[in-house]
Order: sequence, then C-alpha cells, then structure tokens
Amino acid sequence: MRAIIIDDERLARAELKKLLQDFPEVEVIDEAANAEEGIAKIESQHPDLIFLDIQMPGKTGFDMLSELERTPQVIFTTAYDEFALKAFEVNALDYLLKPVEPKRLADAIQKLQPGESREIKHETENVNNSILHENDQVFVKDGERCWFVKLGDIRLFESVGNYAKVFFGTNKPLILKSLNALEERLDEKFFFRANRKHIVNLRMIEKIEPYFNGGLLLELKGGEKIEVSRRQTVKFKEMMSL
Amino acid sequence: MPFMRFGNSRYWLFQVVGWGLFALIFLFVGFVFDKLDTNYYYRLFLFIGLGLLLTHFMRWVIRRANVLIKPIQEQIVNLVIITFIFGLLLGISETYSQDIFNLSLTNAKELIFKRLLDNSFHSFVYLFMWNCIYFIYHYIEKSRRQQLDALKLEALIKELELKTIKAHINPHFIFNSLNSIRALVDENPERARKAITELSNILRSSMQAEKSETVTLEKELYIVKDYLALENMRFEDRLRIEYKVDEETLNQPVPPMMLQTLVENAIKHGISRQINGGVVRVISEFKNNFHELAVQNTGRLNGKVNGEGFGISSTNDRLSLLYGNKAKFEIRQATPTLVEAKVSIPSETILR
Repeated sequence: MRAIIIDDERLARAELKKLLQDFPEVEVIDEAANAEEGIAKIESQHPDLIFLDIQMPGKTGFDMLSELERTPQVIFTTAYDEFALKAFEVNALDYLLKPVEPKRLADAIQKLQPGESREIKHETENVNNSILHENDQVFVKDGERCWFVKLGDIRLFESVGNYAKVFFGTNKPLILKSLNALEERLDEKFFFRANRKHIVNLRMIEKIEPYFNGGLLLELKGGEKIEVSRRQTVKFKEMMSL
Repeated sequence: MPFMRFGNSRYWLFQVVGWGLFALIFLFVGFVFDKLDTNYYYRLFLFIGLGLLLTHFMRWVIRRANVLIKPIQEQIVNLVIITFIFGLLLGISETYSQDIFNLSLTNAKELIFKRLLDNSFHSFVYLFMWNCIYFIYHYIEKSRRQQLDALKLEALIKELELKTIKAHINPHFIFNSLNSIRALVDENPERARKAITELSNILRSSMQAEKSETVTLEKELYIVKDYLALENMRFEDRLRIEYKVDEETLNQPVPPMMLQTLVENAIKHGISRQINGGVVRVISEFKNNFHELAVQNTGRLNGKVNGEGFGISSTNDRLSLLYGNKAKFEIRQATPTLVEAKVSIPSETILR
C-alpha cells in the first residue's frame, strides 16, 4: 500500500515514518506539511492510504478531505482534540492518538481493506478527467458530523441551490457541489440524471411506474419517489433495454 | 429598588384585574339583592376610582419608604400602619365625595361620624387585601430571585474554577510534546533529554500555580521559556521567539500562569494557523506607573475574539479578582501582521 503522511510537524511525520518501518506492507511515498500540499500530492500520486493530522495551519484535515474528489483510505492522527474525537465517536472512523501506540497502529492497518484492484483502474483512467466509480469513497461533512461514503451506497443526489443533498442510509447531508459538476464526475453506467433536480443510482431503484406525459416514476430503496422527465425517459428506456 | 424591577405593565395588570373583579363581585351582589340602581352604580364606581388613585399613591409611599427591603416583622408593622392610614384616607374621601355628588343613602348630616367610621372600616378591609396581595407577590418574587441568584453564583464559581484549571495546561500541547520527544529520542537524544526536563518543569509549576496568588515575573518567565522551547521543538523554524524584558520588572509579582496562558494562546490562535509560521515576542516594561506585560504574535485577529476563548475571560476574571478595576487587559491588532495581548497592572499597588 502506498501511503502519504500529512502533518504540519516534521518530528511527528518522522516519528510515524519510523513506526511504519515495521510494516513492510505500507510504503510511505511522500509527506505533506499542510492541507494544500496534501491535496496536490494526493491528486498527483493517488496513494492508497493517507495518515492525516486534524489540526493543521490553514485548513484542517476534515476541510482537506471534503475538497478531495475521491478520498483514499484515511487513518486520522491527532494529539488530543475534543471536537475531532467527538466526530470520530459518532462515525467510528479510525484514528490514532499521538504519541501512537505501535499495537494500535497495527490494528488500524490490519483493518484497512486491501486496495482492491486499484492498480488496474489507474491504468485505464485519464487522470485529469477521472470518472468516479462505485467503489470510490467520498468524504462528506455536515456540521459536526462526517462520513466516508462509498458512491455505490448513495441512492440519490438532489439539487438544493448551489448545494447537493446526498441520500445514503438514513442520512441526507449537504455538500457544496452542483448537480451538473457531479453528473460529469459520476459513472453513467450507475448514475442517471432523472430530471433537472435529481441524479439517481440505478442500482437503488425498487419500482418503475409509468407517469403523466409519457414520463416515469421511480421508487428508490429508501422510499423516495423521483419523476423522470419525458426527455430523459427515452434515454432511460434505451439504457435499460440493452 | 432592585426587586421592584418588574415591568410596570404587570402592576397595572394586577390593578385592573383586581378592581375589575371587585366591580364584578359588587355588581353580582347588587343584582342578587336587587339593589341595582343608578345610585348604586355611581357609588361603586366612585369607590373604585378613589381606590385606584389611593392604592397607586400607597404603592408610591411603600416604594418611597423602602418598606420591602426591611426585615419581615418591620414589614408587617409597616403594612398595618400604612393600611390603617390609607383606609382612613379612603374612607374620608369616599364620604366627602359622596356628599359632593349627592350619592349618600341618608341625608342626615348628624350621621356623618358614623358614615366616616363605616366607610373607613370597609376601606381598611379592602386595602388590607390589596396590600396582602402586593406584599405576598413581592415576597415570592424576591425569594425566587434569590434562589436564582444563588444558583447563578454557584455556576459562576464552578466555571471559574474549571477554567483556571483548564487554562493551565492544554492536553493537546502535552501529547504533541511527548510525540515530538519520542521522535527526538533517536534523532537528537540530547535535545530529547532537555525537552523532558522542560516538560516536567511546566507540569510541576502548573500544579503549584493554584496555591499562590502571585509569583514573581522571573519565576513565571522560567515556565514561559520552557514552554516556548518545547513549542520551538515542535514547530522548528516556523516559530521564532523574542524576549524584550526590562530587568527591573523581574521582581514584579504577577498572577501565576497568566503570561503562560497568553503565550499559549499566541501559539494556538496565531502561529499554529500560519503555514509559514511567525514570531512570538514577550515584552515586559514599566510605563506610566503601570507594569505592562505583552505578548505579540504573527497573525490577524478575527472578529469573534471578545470573551470567546477561555484565555480571555479567565485572564479578565483573575485580574479583576486581584486588582479590581485598576488592571487592564486588551487584545488588538498592533500592526497589520501582529496581534498583541497586553496586561497592564498598576505598579504602585504592587510595589508596596
């Protein structure tokens, strides 16, 4: 696994690197001292894993994650931060407290899912205009709560002004992204623009019913009912009849 | 008069409702005994008008004489006396105005003395009821307020205690320092040893700080220097430290851990947010009979500084506890890139 360490303190990075020497499966390919540097390095080197400090100058680790198009696997590191700890407790994200106990580090690394066929994906991908796949995860932050969500688990994106509401599980937080920008990034094999305001996950459709004016009404697994506009209905039928 | 603060509107509400009920009862009584005639109405509303006027005047007297803050026995005596005097006043004014408006039931002038006595007696009874309501209302209001004040005070004390303890050493700092020290054990064992000494000095003094009211600046500076040395180990070239300390001020007593709190905030809100770091400058000097202690750091003040962090409020609390309003504390944007937190303590008071 290729990893990047992001922490504003050189000694903290050095210490973590030293601890990671005992884990041959983790290869530290680079380091970053702040969020900006972190984003640049993640987007150019596509690590499988990042070790991320929460409190950094400029942007926090959380801010950094919500700016990433797709997040690699993340292990948070923090010395002591009540706010961050609360966020972790709510969402059971994995985190390490500095100074890091080697045993905890081993557990955290063990828990990571092996980077599933990422290598292959990288070859076929155009780096600049990468399409997000259903196994890619995004980091969603809504006030104090935050989540890592696999795209495949998202049922629906709904446009709310400049924001998009993301429906997954029982949550529907807002993210600062327009529906059009999202549509460009999403894999159209799985995500379908039903109308001006909604993008649905095709795998999450439970029922399809005819609707007025030759449109369709989709019922999703969460119970949401989404109308497919007439123009999109033609496209939808084409896709489904394959 | 602190517990008369209730809005006048509530007083008038009580007046209107009270006298309104009074009118209703007498209209009802008049109806039942079939005594309702114009004369009855006029006398009733004359009495209510006079009653309103006199009770309002009575309230003014009660407030003027500060009856409500006297001990309870005295209050009761006052209540009886005031009720008696005003009962008499109301009785007399009722009798005479009945005569003026020709509303008296009997025309016999000889009976005036008996009528005065009658009228004064029932006036006394009604005013006594009025006063009972008035005093009981204030009694309840007062004890409720006292309870509330006691609770607030308790909460404030707890908060203060908590803040002073918390303000001393920030756990984030301790764990970050330990982490850096662990990294230094291999990289620079000499510096690691020194860092452990510095950290234990700080921990020790933070535990002792609560015991004394003031310490000399010299002692406080030892801690601050250790603290900044540790932060320098963490931030490395992102942190530059400068001292501008007048030797003469070293013997000045200062509240323990106060300068330390200011320096900690300069790091927390200033340096740790700057990608390229900056400077922390500690200044101590005499200026116009004041001992001025200032901490400057690179950074910009954001709008929400006032009293938000516990550093500011706890510093303010400690200064006002020790020096009343003679000491001053301010945070300002000293230059476009420098934030300054400054404490001015009167040097006369403390040179004693």
